[in-house]
Amino acid sequence: MQIRPLISSLQDFYLLSYHGFLGIFRRPFYWKDTLEQMDYAGAGSFFIMALVSLFVGMALSLQLAAELAVLGLKMYIGKVVGITIIREVGPVVAALVFTGRVGAGMASEIGSMMIGNQVDSLRVFGVDPIKKLVTPRLVASLVMLPALTIMGDAISLIGAWYIAAFVSNQSSYVYWSTVRGVLDFQNVFSGAVKPFMFGYLIASISCYMGFTTRGGSTGLRTSTTNAVVMSIIMIIISDFVLTRILLYVLGYKT
Amino acid sequence: MIVFDRVTFGYNAKPILNELSFQVDPGEKIAILGGSGEGKTTILKLIVGLIRPDSGRILIEGEDITHKTEEELNDVRRKFSIVFQAGALFDSLTVKENVAFCLREYTKMTEDEIDAKVRELLRLVDLEPAIHLMPAELSGGMHRRVAIARSLAVHKPIMMLYDEATAGLDPVNSDNICNLIVELSSFGMGHMMVTHKVVDALKVADRFLFLEGGTVVFDGGADELLASSHPHIRTFVDELRYQPKVSGKR
Ligand SMILES: Nc1ncnc2c1ncn2[C@@H]1O[C@H](COP(=O)(O)OP(=O)(O)O)[C@@H](O)[C@H]1O
Ligand SMILES: [Mg+2]
Repeated sequence: MQIRPLISSLQDFYLLSYHGFLGIFRRPFYWKDTLEQMDYAGAGSFFIMALVSLFVGMALSLQLAAELAVLGLKMYIGKVVGITIIREVGPVVAALVFTGRVGAGMASEIGSMMIGNQVDSLRVFGVDPIKKLVTPRLVASLVMLPALTIMGDAISLIGAWYIAAFVSNQSSYVYWSTVRGVLDFQNVFSGAVKPFMFGYLIASISCYMGFTTRGGSTGLRTSTTNAVVMSIIMIIISDFVLTRILLYVLGYKT
Repeated sequence: MIVFDRVTFGYNAKPILNELSFQVDPGEKIAILGGSGEGKTTILKLIVGLIRPDSGRILIEGEDITHKTEEELNDVRRKFSIVFQAGALFDSLTVKENVAFCLREYTKMTEDEIDAKVRELLRLVDLEPAIHLMPAELSGGMHRRVAIARSLAVHKPIMMLYDEATAGLDPVNSDNICNLIVELSSFGMGHMMVTHKVVDALKVADRFLFLEGGTVVFDGGADELLASSHPHIRTFVDELRYQPKVSGKR
């Protein structure tokens, strides 16, 4: 990879995500587009997010129950599952699902607008494409991914409970009380910061990749793939970095 | 009105235009001819400031637009109306919302006023019945006509710019579009049509530029174009006189 194009595209990406964010505070704000994006990103992703979360929760519970039973620690299932889901698995799984469903959609929609000269039309009409296209998607992601993550966490915990209570024959009361014990400030805060970061990354990477689309349907394929691949990489890396920072900030010894 | 002064442009070091110079006066009816990939669309994008030349100057009504910011360029863009290749309608919006796009963006019209204005514009392009359709439901020719209506919504441009307005259309639809373009120019607007179809260029324009290798190799009227001895122009023009070779007795 050549260095100069790389630097200039990093600069473009930075400008896009920065101006896209500033667009929230500057007029005009496109309410209609924002609501439409929220509907697409949030309401549209509800079902798949619920489905994925349910099965992730059940699988996690099944795995851990087997392992904990060997150690004679089956009563800790709620605690272990709760921490895993709230702090780590829930936000990451939600972000990955969101990337596949919403990020890919953003990149391909903006990409086909690039190919069809629709973005040029916006500029000719004096409309800032960043404000019109990026800001609504950024806002939708910043609102909807955290909401979906919380919902996904809850459904995962229910899935895990189902397995714990009906397959591993644990007491429901013990399960829910240990889960409630896990819901302290530190855990909830760790879990709540991540989806904002991930939402911001997914929306700005996907929009950026959409804007880089050149030349027909193979160009669209490349930019959509890049959007998904880059988003996944950035989610996984930033999850690690954030976890590290949060553990430090919250005063854990590692 | 439009002056290109030794304009050079390339995408990522791939040269497209090379020291291109020409001048267009207000009200002129002009066609830019040239093969695919010769940079015809690029010229239109340069005129409205969507891209900037690598060197040289572009003057619009005497003003150098080469170093203007995106905001300053909005004033320049208002002087033109550009109809992109294939129309470039917003495909998430209905025909009505497409045509109303600039009205909603720049005016405080009520819903009734917008509806009336949109219908008026669609009548102009003979498409009022299509008002509630989505762009995907339109044929190629309808697409272009809606795009023309949309580009006329807010302001009266001084010059219309058409990018391959008739490409990919059957002869009947092409002819319709050409007639519409001529009709609009009777309101006093000039136009510049970029095309590779000589037939359509002859219908709408009285001055022709032929683009090759990034420069203008021909600039003149219809008679000169038809009589030109430049080999590529001949190929373009000979299409008009094509006679099928009929086998057997005549
Ligand atoms: N965004 C772009 N990036 C890189 N190359 C481009 C881009 N747009 C156009 N080109 C190239 O520039 C050349 C001229 O394009 P264009 O002006 O669209 O030609 P025309 O309209 O005459 O067919 C073509 O070879 C095309 O491949
Ligand atoms: Mg073209």
